[in-house]
Amino acid sequence: MALVNGSILTGLGVGLNAAVARVWRIERGESLPARGTSANGALVEANALKAAIAGVSAELDSLGQNSGATNAEILEALKLLLEDDELFAVSQTHLAEGWSAGAAFAMAVDDFAQLLGNSSPTVAERIADLQDLSKRVQFNLAGIKDSLDLPAIGPLILVGEDFSPAETAQFTSAVVGVITTGGGPTSHTSIICRSRGIPAVVSCAGADSLENGDLVLVDPVGNRVIVGSDASLATPPMRFLAVSDEPIIAVRCNIGTRLDAEAAAKTSSAGVGLFRTEMLYLNQQTKPSTQQQTATYIEVFEAAPAGPIVVRTLDSGRDKPVPFLTLAPAETLLPEADGYRLLGEHRGFLIEQLESLEAARALTGRELWVMAPMIATVAETADFCALARPIGKFKVGIMVETLSIAGLIGQLKGIVDFVSIGTNDLSHYLFAADRVNPAPGTSTSHWEPTLIRTIAQIAADGRAAQIEVGVCGESASDPAFAVVLAGLGVSSVSASPWQVDVVRAALSSVNAGLARQIAKAALVATSAEAAEAAALEHLPTA
Amino acid sequence: MTYQAQVEIKDPIGLHARPAALIAKFVKAANLDVRIGHGESLFVSASSPLRLMTLKAGFGSKLIVGVEGLEDSAAAEVVAQIQEFLGG
Repeated sequence: MALVNGSILTGLGVGLNAAVARVWRIERGESLPARGTSANGALVEANALKAAIAGVSAELDSLGQNSGATNAEILEALKLLLEDDELFAVSQTHLAEGWSAGAAFAMAVDDFAQLLGNSSPTVAERIADLQDLSKRVQFNLAGIKDSLDLPAIGPLILVGEDFSPAETAQFTSAVVGVITTGGGPTSHTSIICRSRGIPAVVSCAGADSLENGDLVLVDPVGNRVIVGSDASLATPPMRFLAVSDEPIIAVRCNIGTRLDAEAAAKTSSAGVGLFRTEMLYLNQQTKPSTQQQTATYIEVFEAAPAGPIVVRTLDSGRDKPVPFLTLAPAETLLPEADGYRLLGEHRGFLIEQLESLEAARALTGRELWVMAPMIATVAETADFCALARPIGKFKVGIMVETLSIAGLIGQLKGIVDFVSIGTNDLSHYLFAADRVNPAPGTSTSHWEPTLIRTIAQIAADGRAAQIEVGVCGESASDPAFAVVLAGLGVSSVSASPWQVDVVRAALSSVNAGLARQIAKAALVATSAEAAEAAALEHLPTA
Repeated sequence: MTYQAQVEIKDPIGLHARPAALIAKFVKAANLDVRIGHGESLFVSASSPLRLMTLKAGFGSKLIVGVEGLEDSAAAEVVAQIQEFLGG
């Protein structure tokens, strides 16, 4: 059924400009040919396979020439995999068993996929790339044309599940917007759209109901798609008039790897507000030695933007398991609730991690703050601080993500130097929402008045107890919300790399008094929408 | 004559797609006969990025590089180049 005009589909926006055009759906219509045997003999099939590989290779070449540098590099890497002699050799063993060229190649790719295992998201992505190549070779052999066949003149808004590197390379200039039901802010589609300046809304579940020819507004700043709307409803990117050179509170950046640290260094970020160390361990089957950990930390610290680096010790749970730290099974509604419990069970690892961090700190001379995730009680806080302080010259603190600790900030006086509020988890606890399997309609907006009140209380308690209060998490990447946070008494925010500059601009456009006034307006609101509207109303934008 | 030397994975992400591709490209372009492995019989052709990735060599692990048919000094240069692709 067609969506009525004015229907709003929410997702995650990529980019700052809006686009209006008609929908062009990409369907995964053609299914893979069945794997069959061939009576032609292995030699004939081998030649057919060679030709198909050459054909797909030429396709990738021409795609690479027509796409940007980011995409061309990815396609070049794909070609090396496609033309791998060993892949052909394994295909030949299947050809010798009597299989057709397409079947043999598909089996060879499956063989390699199995050899590579499925140990990490990175490996899973490479396997997806291989399977995409396998599909292309099979389509080539079956004479099925596998291209997006986009018109050169548009404008059009592409709608699909998600797009592979080979597909994004086929985006013509007619593509003025992209909507995907899958993907996320760091998926391939988002990266390419960001680099090419194509507005996109990803992770937009409602886009399944869009039909070819529907006129839609892609409104990335508003994180939504509006059916039948013209550009007048587009959420304008906020532009702020600076009243001072420096933001009223420090704006830092969230990172997980050395590459993130390099990206952060290109922004105006004043250090790192959240270094998620689990990213370095998720791929490891065995526990890295302290020397290995130290070497990795040195690379990250050297690349990171100037300023303090706030490190979160390993945060692992059932939603992001670290292979070498296993956890006794337990029934839990909230899988991420294992963070500190897990480290309680792996105290030896926590000590080694802190020692590695201290060694890297000493060698790089960087200012380091360390904090533990998923703390629930004052006793756990004291335990972590007592463990960390003798190990290194750090400021020591905790993440505030659970409701139990959120109410006890005053009691942390003299124990911690700082706390950092993880608003994503905190709001999930406030609304009893399951982060892995969110129930439909569950509100997780950071503008919910109860979250704002909880943050206000934490900030006030922190101030009274001489504890610095920062905020990391997605809410700090929202420039208007960052101003509210400053007005509530938070002393630093940590945003995603691509939001750092705009958050800093927002925090440079107000003085402390105005920020307090904006925070007060949001505090008295009775709904998330009203809180956001109240804040935006008072925020001076250009 | 096989020249053998050890290399260490200094890339934090391990021997992933990118270094594997760089090594394979280099070995193929120079028409070299190079095998890499964990030792014993577990060697793969360095001209195959897929085989290199199946070594699943993580950060800090050490691999043996075997170079065929080159003078020791030239072979050592090949190994040094491969080490560079692996970080460090």
